[in-house]
Amino acid sequence: MDSKTLRYIAKRIVMAIVTLWAVITVTFFVMKAVPGDPFASEKAVTPAARAALEAKYGLDKPLMEQYKNYLVGALHFDFGPSLKVRGREVTAIILDGMRTSAKLGIIALLIATVTGIVLGSIAALRRNTIFDKFIMVITTAFVSMPSFIMGSLLLILFAIKLKWLPANGAQPGGLILPVITLSLYPMSYITRLTRSSMLDVLGQDYIRTAKAKGVSERNVIMKHALKNSLIPVITYFGPELAYIVTGSLVVEQIFAVPGIGRYFVSSITGRDYPLIMGTTIVLASLIVIMNLVSDIMYKVVDPRINLE
Amino acid sequence: MSNLTRRDMLRAFGVVSATSMLAACGGSNGGSNGGDNADGAADGGEAAAAQSIAVCLSSEPDNIDPALNSAVDGATMIVHLFAGLAKWEKDGEAFVIAPDCATELPEPVDNGDGTYTYTYTLRDGLKWSDGQDLTAADFEFAMKRASSADLGADYGYLYEVVDGYSEDGSSEINVTAVDEKTLQIVTTVVVPYWDELLAFPTFFPVREDVVANEAWATDPSTYISNGAYTMTGWDHNSVITVEKNPNYYDADAITMDKIEFYLSDDANNMLANFENGTWQLIDDVPTNEIAALKEKYPEEFVVAGQIGTYYVNWNVNKNILPAGSTLTGVEAENARAEIRRAIGLLFDRNYIVEEIGQAGQVPASSFVSMGLTEPDGSEFYENAGDAAANGYVGYYDVSADALESNFNQAVETLKKYYTFDEATGMFTDFPTIDYLYNTSEGHKAIGEYLASALAQVGITMNLENQEWNTFLNTRKAGDYTVARNGWLCDYNDPISMLDMWVSNSGNNDCQFGKGDHASVAAYSIDCTDLGYDLKVENGTWADTFDAVIALVKSEGDNSKRMALMHKAEDLLMSTGAICPLYFYTDLYMISQSVQGFFSIPLGYKFFHYTTVA
Repeated sequence: MDSKTLRYIAKRIVMAIVTLWAVITVTFFVMKAVPGDPFASEKAVTPAARAALEAKYGLDKPLMEQYKNYLVGALHFDFGPSLKVRGREVTAIILDGMRTSAKLGIIALLIATVTGIVLGSIAALRRNTIFDKFIMVITTAFVSMPSFIMGSLLLILFAIKLKWLPANGAQPGGLILPVITLSLYPMSYITRLTRSSMLDVLGQDYIRTAKAKGVSERNVIMKHALKNSLIPVITYFGPELAYIVTGSLVVEQIFAVPGIGRYFVSSITGRDYPLIMGTTIVLASLIVIMNLVSDIMYKVVDPRINLE
Repeated sequence: MSNLTRRDMLRAFGVVSATSMLAACGGSNGGSNGGDNADGAADGGEAAAAQSIAVCLSSEPDNIDPALNSAVDGATMIVHLFAGLAKWEKDGEAFVIAPDCATELPEPVDNGDGTYTYTYTLRDGLKWSDGQDLTAADFEFAMKRASSADLGADYGYLYEVVDGYSEDGSSEINVTAVDEKTLQIVTTVVVPYWDELLAFPTFFPVREDVVANEAWATDPSTYISNGAYTMTGWDHNSVITVEKNPNYYDADAITMDKIEFYLSDDANNMLANFENGTWQLIDDVPTNEIAALKEKYPEEFVVAGQIGTYYVNWNVNKNILPAGSTLTGVEAENARAEIRRAIGLLFDRNYIVEEIGQAGQVPASSFVSMGLTEPDGSEFYENAGDAAANGYVGYYDVSADALESNFNQAVETLKKYYTFDEATGMFTDFPTIDYLYNTSEGHKAIGEYLASALAQVGITMNLENQEWNTFLNTRKAGDYTVARNGWLCDYNDPISMLDMWVSNSGNNDCQFGKGDHASVAAYSIDCTDLGYDLKVENGTWADTFDAVIALVKSEGDNSKRMALMHKAEDLLMSTGAICPLYFYTDLYMISQSVQGFFSIPLGYKFFHYTTVA
C-alpha cells in the first residue's frame, strides 16, 4: 500500500469519526425531543419515585450536561446502564445480542456471497440457456419476496409440517432456518449483480485479447473476468454486511432468535435512551467501517481506481 | 398484578391479551386437574424420572427483582422463584391464599390508636437457595426497600396501607423483625385484601447482601431466592431455566423438577413451537388465528378469567357542546355528562367482543371489572347500578335486545343539545372529535367500529393513533378528547380500579378535578345512610369523589367499604367520562399432556404441581 492510499485511509478515518459524532449528536437531541419517557407506564409511578429514578440516571440534569456526559462516557466505551432492564449495562446487552446476530449474519452473508457469485457467473456464462432463465426467475422471486413471507413459509414447512427443524432460534439447530431466510435476499441480489457485471466484463476488449492470445477458458474467467466483475459486488457487500450483522428484526422475530435486531425498535418504544444510543452507534459504526473496507477493497481488486 | 408495562406494551403492538373473568368459561385444564395436585405430587416426586416443562409467556422480562417487576409474566416467574409470607393455591375450583413462609396468617391486633399490628411467625428451617438461613430481618429489609421512594418501584404504592408509608420517601414503613422468626407489620387500617398483598411479589423477601449488587437479578449466579425453584440458567432473550430448590420447605410437594421459560413475544412463533410440540404452554396466540384455533384445539385453547376492563374515556375538560351553546359552568358540565352517557349507548358491545375481540370477552356495563367479589361472595359488578329498578345489571343494558331502545334513547337525549335533521337521521352540529389510541390492529379495529357507530347519527370521530410511549404521555397530560383505555387489577378489590380517579392520581386520565374541572361544583354524594357524616350537594370532584374514596381507604368493615365503593362508582359513571366496553379475558394454550396446572385471575400461572405425560 503506497503512502497515497494510507493518507486516504487516514482521511477516511477522520471522516468516519466526524460522521459518528454527527450521528450521536443528532440521535441524542432528536431522541430527547420525542415525547414520552422511560419511566412511563400504564400505572403512574409516584412523583417522588420518578424524581429518584431521574436523579439516579442523571436525567434531571440540563440537556447539554447530559449530552456532554454521554459523549465523555462513549469515548471510554461506557454506554451506561439500560433504563428498562435494571442492572444491565447497554454494552452487555448489545454484546449479548450481537454475538447471535453476527453469527447469523456472517454465516448468511458468506453463504449468500459464495452461492451468489457462483450462480451469477454460471448464469452469465450460460446466458439465455434454460439454466440462466431458471436462475433469473428464482432470484427475481427471492428478491421481491419479503423476508417475513419467506420466513413464515419455511417455518410452516420445516418446523410445523415436517418437524425437521426447530421453530425457535434458542434451540439446537434453531439458527438454520433463520440463516436460510436471511441469506436468500442477498444471495439473489449478488447473483443478479454478478451476472450483469460478468456479462459486461465478458464483452470487454481485454477478454477478447486474452482469448485471442490463447489463454484457456478457465483462466480467462477466473483471472480476468471474475475479478473485475466482482467490483459491484464489493460495493454491495460492505453495507450489506453492516445491516445483516446488526440483525434483521423481522427474521429474528419470526424465529425468536435472541439477536440485537429487536432492540432497534424496543429501545425506542421504551425510551431506553442509553440503549437507543448504543444500538445506533453500533449500526452507524459498522456502516462507516464497512464502507471504508469496501473502498479499500476496490483498490485491492482494481489498482486503476484512484482513491483520491 | 396488572399487565403493566410489558403486557401493555405487547397490547400496544396488537397482541391479543387478556380477557374475562370467566372462571366458568375457562373450562381450563387447570380447573379439571387441580384437584389431583396433592396426590400427584406425592407420587410423582418419588417414582418418575425428572419432570420438565417448556413454556413461553412473553419476551425477556425487564426485571425479575420481586420489588421492581411490574409485569404479569415476570410475576409468574417470581412466584416460582420466591416465597412470601403467603401464596396462592387452588382449592377445588376456588383460588385461596395460604401461608407460605409464615406458619399462619392471623388477624391483626387493634392497637387502639388507629393502627393495627399483624404478627407473623416464620416456619422453622427456612433457607435461601445458597443455604443461608432466612430470617424475619430479611422480610423487614425487603419491605422497607420495596416501599422506598429511592427504589422507585412501580408497585411501591401498595405499601400505602402500612403505617409510616410516605409517597415522598420522607419516612420509613413500620415493619419490625422482633426476633429471627417473628415479623410485625403495623397498618393504618384493617386491610381486607391484606393476605393477598402478602402473596404479591412486591412483598417477597430479598437479602440485603444479594441486592447490594444492582445487577443481581440479571444473572443466575447472583439470583439468590427462597422459593420452590432456583434459577439455574438465563440465556438472555432465549430462555430462563429454573429447577426445583431442595432447600424449599415444601419441596416434597413440588412435582415439576424443571421449568424452561422460553422468551419470545411473537405470537406466531409461539404457536409454531406449540404446534410442533416443543412448548407445552404458550400465553399468547395470533389474533387472526383465534377462531381457527378454537376449532382446531378445543381442549388446548383456554379462555380464563382476568380482572380488568377495556374502556373509552373522555377528557372532562374538553368541550363537546355545539358551537353556539350558551351553557357554562355546572350546567355545561351536566350537559356534557348527559351527552357522554348518551354516546355510550350508541355502541354495540356484543359486536365488539364477538366480531373484533373474539376472545370470550364479556360486554361491560360498569367500570369495576367482573371477577371482583364482595364479602358475601357475589360479584361487585352484578351489584352495580340499580338492577332492581332498571331490570339490568350495571349502568346501561348491554343485551343485544336493548340495542334499539338504547339507540333511540341516545338520539332523544342528544336532540336536547344538537340540531337533528329528521330527513337524514343525522345530527348536523356535533363538533368533530378525535379518538386517540395506541398503535395496534386490535385497538384500531375497535376505534373504527366506534367511529362507524357515531357516523350513523352524523357524528364525525377521527381516529388518531400514537406509538405507545407518546400515547401514554398525551393521555396523561389530557391532550385529547376521547381515548382508548384499559386497566388490569393488581389485587382482588374494587378500590384498585376506583382510586385511580381521585383528583391527584397519576392515572386520572379523565382529568377529574384538574384544570377547569377542579372548580366545577356539579357533584353530590350522600353517605349518611351508611352512618358517615359525608353529605355534599353540588360539590366539586374533590369534595365528593375524593372524599368517598378517602372514606373507603380508612374503613375496616368490608361490607361498608363495598357500599361506599358502589356510591363512588355511581358518581364516576354519572359523569359519562368512562365508557366501558368489555371485561378482559386471558387466552392461552396448554398441551393435553400437562396435568395439575392452574392460573389465577390476576394472570399468574402455576407450574409447581404439574406433571407432563
